[in-house]
Amino acid sequence: MQNRNELILIVEDDSQIRNFICYSLKQEGFSYITAGTAQGALTTLVTEQVDLMLLDLGLPDFDGMEVIKKVREWSEMPIIVVSARDQDKEKASALDNGADDYLTKPFSSMELMARIRVAIRHLQKSGGARLQTTLGVGGLKIDLDKRLVYLEDSELHTTPLEYSLLSLFFRNIGKVLTTNYIIKEIYGAGYGSDTQALRKLMAGLRRKIEKNPAKPRYILTEIGVGYRLSDV
Amino acid sequence: MRSLKYKDSKEIIRYILITVIIIAAATGIGWIFLMIGFPETNIVIVYLLSILITARFTRGYTYGLVAAVVATFTFNYFFTDPYYTFSVSDPAYFITFGIMTITAIITSTLTSKVKQNALESQEKEAETSALFHLTNRLTDAADIADIAGITTETISGIMNCRAACLCFDESGQPEQSFIQQLNSNEQVRRKVDDTAEVKHQIESLRSGYSIGSEFYDWPIYGRESILGILRIPKEHAVSMGESQKRLLRSMIESTALAMDRFRSARQQQESREETIQERYRSNLLRAISHDLRTPLSGIMGTSEILMDMTEPQDPRYDLAEGIHKDADWLHSLVENILSLTRLQDGRLTITKQLEAAEEVVGGAVGHILKRHPEYEITVDVPEEVLLVPMDAKLIEQVLINLLDNAIKHTPPSGEIKITVSQENSFATFSVADSGCGIAISDLPNIFQMFYTTHTGKADSQRSVGLGLPICEAIIKAHEGTIEGHNRTDQMGAEFIFTLPKEENNHAKPE
Repeated sequence: MQNRNELILIVEDDSQIRNFICYSLKQEGFSYITAGTAQGALTTLVTEQVDLMLLDLGLPDFDGMEVIKKVREWSEMPIIVVSARDQDKEKASALDNGADDYLTKPFSSMELMARIRVAIRHLQKSGGARLQTTLGVGGLKIDLDKRLVYLEDSELHTTPLEYSLLSLFFRNIGKVLTTNYIIKEIYGAGYGSDTQALRKLMAGLRRKIEKNPAKPRYILTEIGVGYRLSDV
Repeated sequence: MRSLKYKDSKEIIRYILITVIIIAAATGIGWIFLMIGFPETNIVIVYLLSILITARFTRGYTYGLVAAVVATFTFNYFFTDPYYTFSVSDPAYFITFGIMTITAIITSTLTSKVKQNALESQEKEAETSALFHLTNRLTDAADIADIAGITTETISGIMNCRAACLCFDESGQPEQSFIQQLNSNEQVRRKVDDTAEVKHQIESLRSGYSIGSEFYDWPIYGRESILGILRIPKEHAVSMGESQKRLLRSMIESTALAMDRFRSARQQQESREETIQERYRSNLLRAISHDLRTPLSGIMGTSEILMDMTEPQDPRYDLAEGIHKDADWLHSLVENILSLTRLQDGRLTITKQLEAAEEVVGGAVGHILKRHPEYEITVDVPEEVLLVPMDAKLIEQVLINLLDNAIKHTPPSGEIKITVSQENSFATFSVADSGCGIAISDLPNIFQMFYTTHTGKADSQRSVGLGLPICEAIIKAHEGTIEGHNRTDQMGAEFIFTLPKEENNHAKPE
């Protein structure tokens, strides 16, 4: 068991779920504090130096969404949202409001730990990330300076739109980007919410970088929410 | 029949008497005038008056006309020189006779006409008030039988007969008995001998009514079907005049309206109650499933940790794994119930968006492989991206259910394959496994709610038979088709569903 010094805040009103999350975190060597309400979470955030927050959207006192908005006013800490499966709209708006990732109930502790590790890694990187110009995931690499993409060490030709899509993902490795957010970044704010062009663009890009576009290894689809560049 | 004739002749005698008396009276008055020495013109005027009065108090034109001619001759006989003969000394009298006759005829016809009009408007008024009376009473009716009772009573009262009414039920069949008016305040129910015959007669009707052995039957037509039959006793129906028939038709129409209104009100009420019940049920189900999710997350997470804490050889590992598996099963059940309540909820029409088929398939495969990493799933999608309008979340649920089924019946080494293809205006998704296939006896029932296989090979794995019916409901909501059959090329089952590529209802304006 390795000892880490990150402090994680668990905001969850169900004690059973809280218990097993605490146990998993302890196994991984994280420190943690818990809160059962949104109010409690905000109080803790003020008094403690929290590095990452795990937030259940359905809290007894008020909506978890409000917590995200409040926290984003003064902190860039990673927020991982936990919610039920059919609340896609809430997930998407939580992400648009500044959450970094989401988990669907019920989730396995293995998955939870994987997500937390990714978020923490970004936390550590983010200091020097802006200077870093070459980024890579598996066999896929991007050179932001030269605007070049490499797949398995050979240069990959991409259209300008495909390149900007890829660079958007590389700047947010592991993070779920909502469809609306991507459209706004790629096509501009005035484009509206027509997803058809993005779906086609994504299909074209996948045919260049994935072995089987229906079993993607790099850019994963989060149905009803958006996409994520896998960080494994 | 005979009584009718008798009544007529009595009336004729009465009118003749009236005519004779009035002419006689006019002659008497003329006689007095002659005695006193008034001019003849006054006598003519008196005769004219007498003809007017005759026309007023008799029926039709005949008596007035007869009176006009008779009066002329009487005047001639009694008051013109030479007296007491029909001969005339002064030819100028012929002018008097001519004008007198013509004036008399015109007066009498005019008077008769006025009388006729008055009579007709009286009849009309009576009709209107009768109809009004009926409609008024019908609004208070409590049910269809009540409406029939009120109609029977009112029509019996107006037509002065023992009318009857046979209602048809909601499926369009005649009831077993009909209501008949016995006397002014008593009704009886009589059995219908042959309902099928009655129905046949009324349905094959070409004229306004059908003639039976006891009754003349008038159908009561509703908006959609025949609502009943109004029966008038034969002996009365035969002698009905045009105006009475007209009144009867109007009354039947009012009855039909009342019956229709009552039926549609009741149907509305019923469907409203049903909707409320349905909504209540699905809300309850949804609330329960929703609340099940949180504890299930706890159970699954905790049992997973317990598995983590024990060695795989430890019997406690198996126990924890059992808990985890059961909770997992329960969880997919909850998700399916939630999908079902979302679909059945009248409020939610699915929101379709153009989605890439490969993304939805990829999402479902990813979901399944996370839970069953030991399996290999082959995916084959067309080279060109296939965009299909759908609710991606629901179609993902369909694929997950089909893959779950495939995994349940296929060993980890077996082949599971998803193929997406495009056929004309349809996108076709196929999920094929290499398991034991579907028993022939089960094939027709696989999409039935709560159907689980009864063949001996039913495995230990529980199933409530919700997965496939939900797939079917989702695909139907997308206006697609779904079917399942055994593979012909090898062992195993294959499920194929299609989704329309274009939305049928609103094509693009271009």
